[in-house]
Amino acid sequence: MIQQMSEQLQIKGVNDGLLISLGSLTYAEFLNQLNKTLPEKQAFFQGSRVAIDVGPMKLNGRHIAEISTTLTQYGVELWSILSDHEDTREAARKMDLGTRLGGSQTDLDGKPLQTRHKTQTAVNPSLQEDLIIKETIRSGKSIYADGSIVIIGDVNPGAELIAGGDVIVWGRLRGLVHAGAKGDQAAIICALVLNPTQLRIADKIAIAPDEKQTAVIPEQATITKGQIVAEPWQPKSISKTS
Amino acid sequence: MSTTVITITSGKGGVGKTTITANLASALAMQNKKVVAIDADIGLRNLDVVMGLENRIVYDLVDVIEGRCRLRQAMIKDKRQAELYLIPAAQTRDKTAVSPSDMMLVCNQLRDEGMDYIIIDSPAGIERGFKNAITPADRVIVVTNPEVSAVRDADRIIGMIEAEEKGPAKLIINRIKPAMVDRGEMLSVDDVIDILAVDIIGIIPEDESILIGSNRGTPVAMSSVNGQSASQAFKNIAQRVEGHNIPFIDLTAKTSLLDRVSGFFSRS
Repeated sequence: MIQQMSEQLQIKGVNDGLLISLGSLTYAEFLNQLNKTLPEKQAFFQGSRVAIDVGPMKLNGRHIAEISTTLTQYGVELWSILSDHEDTREAARKMDLGTRLGGSQTDLDGKPLQTRHKTQTAVNPSLQEDLIIKETIRSGKSIYADGSIVIIGDVNPGAELIAGGDVIVWGRLRGLVHAGAKGDQAAIICALVLNPTQLRIADKIAIAPDEKQTAVIPEQATITKGQIVAEPWQPKSISKTS
Repeated sequence: MSTTVITITSGKGGVGKTTITANLASALAMQNKKVVAIDADIGLRNLDVVMGLENRIVYDLVDVIEGRCRLRQAMIKDKRQAELYLIPAAQTRDKTAVSPSDMMLVCNQLRDEGMDYIIIDSPAGIERGFKNAITPADRVIVVTNPEVSAVRDADRIIGMIEAEEKGPAKLIINRIKPAMVDRGEMLSVDDVIDILAVDIIGIIPEDESILIGSNRGTPVAMSSVNGQSASQAFKNIAQRVEGHNIPFIDLTAKTSLLDRVSGFFSRS
């Protein structure tokens, strides 16, 4: 979805909401454009959240507050300012705004989170977190997490877990699991009983061997030499993957 | 005593929901309970046939819901048991003729009638008909066969029952063939429970008498022959529904002790 507001001002739909790029507009021109376009397209903007890419422009807190107020008047939430200029990013951070796409980029201490997934683009911030679920995941259930998934319980055939990070099943894994779904080759899958319908790590797919495992042997699957390999879990195998 | 609404469901079709509804309702009625069986499979009614009451139908569930008759008029009295009734499904309509709130309404009226048990025969599937059947339930019994596809569907349905906060569901495993299980050619009761992880309330052996009873319109639970394993299995389920702790029939009894011991070791 791309909507041309003017020659330079561009609106794009991203997973998080809308992204407005200033292009080569000056701050004053941009504000002008915004004031003109918002009332015209109020239905389009109403209730949305907006990230603004100001490029190399240097903005201070007052500028950002002005943009935010203008947007709020038309029911639009400003949640992120993207800029190449460190001062602008600093000003945005001080106002509790994001400085990148992909939701909040800081951890509890206010330090930027290290992004493990280089391919990560805009994602729904509600899916950013790790998930811990304490129940049996039955057929037909699908669980997504941007981070890692921990299941305390069984994962039955017909259920699927899809995680950006690792997947740990404290129970019997008999369904489908995709770890490192955004391309992380280092993601691991481990389970008390690893008996999946199918395993996927990053872009690799593996099918479990036909013989059924009945004994409880914790196993861990990783990508080793370009393919998914499952091995009995041993304390030393941790260092191999970390 | 208050009324208990039990819904019999399965996900997959053809696993024996209707047969079990008819037999459980019969077995409970034989314990002098006031029981009404409701066929919620609108458009594909069968329960009346299995209970042998097809020719007595005048009004059905949809007639009650749409106000064409009083509830009592749609309750067909069984020809053998004094306090067993059937509310048949409409054959000429479909699932959209009934809503979950309609089912609540009908069941609440039946509670006022002083019924002990309302047994609802759910249609197969996970759509509207299933929702209709599950909404008024106090308890849910899931029926499965010892085959992988039926177990898979049962797993799905158990998850949906939990999501509707009607769980934990109880399980009936129908059509067990002990000889095939012994040969390792059929999922055993343990295999099924291993996947579904719910409490079991009945194990029903594969038995021709069940099919014969259904075709004749005389549920096998009503047959006078005692000790017949299928008939006994249904009576036991009724006892367990009543809260009695009844041991399961040993379906491996025909094999020798030695076979069972070796079977035990090969399983572990």
